[in-house]
Amino acid sequence: MGRVKTEKKKPFIDMTAMSDVTVLLLTFFMLTSTFLNKEPVTVITPASVAEEKVPEQNLLTVLVNPEGKVFFAISGDRDSTYSSEKMREAILTNAVETYNKSHSQKIQLTKENVKTFGSTYMYGLPFAKLKEWLEMPLDQRDKYLDPSKPEGAGAGIPIDMNKDLEKPNEFQIWMRAAYNTDNENFKKAVKSGLGVAIKADASTPYEVIEVVMDNLQTLKMNKFSLMTALKTEED
Amino acid sequence: MAKRGKRYSEQKDVRVDFTPMVDMNMLLITFFMLCTTMIKSQTLQIALPTNEKVEQNEQNKAKESEAITILLDSDVDENGVATKEYVYFYEGIAMITPDGSDSNLQESEFLGNEDGVARGIRAVLQKKNKDVYTKIVDLKAKWKAKEFSKKDEVNDSIYKAKAKEIRNDSTLTRPVVIIKATPRASYKSVVTALDEMQINNISRYQIDRITHDDSTMMKPYWDKREAAKK
Repeated sequence: MGRVKTEKKKPFIDMTAMSDVTVLLLTFFMLTSTFLNKEPVTVITPASVAEEKVPEQNLLTVLVNPEGKVFFAISGDRDSTYSSEKMREAILTNAVETYNKSHSQKIQLTKENVKTFGSTYMYGLPFAKLKEWLEMPLDQRDKYLDPSKPEGAGAGIPIDMNKDLEKPNEFQIWMRAAYNTDNENFKKAVKSGLGVAIKADASTPYEVIEVVMDNLQTLKMNKFSLMTALKTEED
Repeated sequence: MAKRGKRYSEQKDVRVDFTPMVDMNMLLITFFMLCTTMIKSQTLQIALPTNEKVEQNEQNKAKESEAITILLDSDVDENGVATKEYVYFYEGIAMITPDGSDSNLQESEFLGNEDGVARGIRAVLQKKNKDVYTKIVDLKAKWKAKEFSKKDEVNDSIYKAKAKEIRNDSTLTRPVVIIKATPRASYKSVVTALDEMQINNISRYQIDRITHDDSTMMKPYWDKREAAKK
């Protein structure tokens, strides 16, 4: 009996090698990947053979969902003078200023409000709801942007076929505000056609895209890019 | 001797159990895998003309023999989501019989290649752009054989520069493609059409608004589609 007991040794598996492998994998993932930005609607972009990558900096993304609701996101320069947060804050101040000039119901924003806007990746609501939205807690803000939720029924920046820049629509106010920040690199990117990208779902009807394109044309941002997924060219 | 033995017994094998470490790492890996992307989107660059009203006579009209107009349309379900894409095209100017029943509009499809042979609208465009296309094919063969340079990067850049030169060579007959989409056409079909321009090396193309003539031309096809549904 005693002899049998001594043979029942606790097996010890050396996990050092395993640990090495996992750390290596972890390092790989940390270095190669970029974090997903939270977008209120998920879109599946159509495929194309275009190989040019989406720039990471100085990019204005216009997200269009199949129902024609428009959202936008800004990423600024890598340096801290025009970081994404600073860009967003500047855009908000610019846009609200333009809006207040032409509307009797003025929007008064606190510093806190501006800061909240700076930390949100994507925005898409009418001006009338802006202040109210900025004062909500984070999870509520997400809900109000998501058109699939009951709260998000009013999501999307109002847009129409407006050609009169004296009376810009809300989309045009935002786009102009974005262009008129002091970030020269972003201006350059817009002029070269890499600064503005339209991201829309493959099934979106063309009339919706046409309105967005028409607005960009009116704003003289007639060079822009369309975000697509990669498709290999069949020979 | 006794001392030595004692020292040996103190030098016990120190084994650290790495299992919790591995557990934690695995968790972190899972987190990174779920929260990050590695695939970056691609961009297709387009330049649209300015929106300002251009005088009719100031517009540079495309030569009739070079022009080809592609009309895009889709079937939509009750939610307005495109279910099937249709492509129509006509060469030169629109020609319609007075009653609108017949025109030079033809039906085609986005079929891509099969066994290396272009089909559908691609074949049409390729034929139109034959001059440029054959030259590009030759160039591509040279690029694949690395004739320009042994170095991959140099080879690529020379190929790209030469390809661009050919695409913009005004001595060759190059078509002008006008892409028009109906309001219910899907965004996908517009991107596919723009993509065909890239694939077929067409340098002159534009997106335009649909005209009354275009819809008159499409009407018989719409009727046919409606009839087929029933």
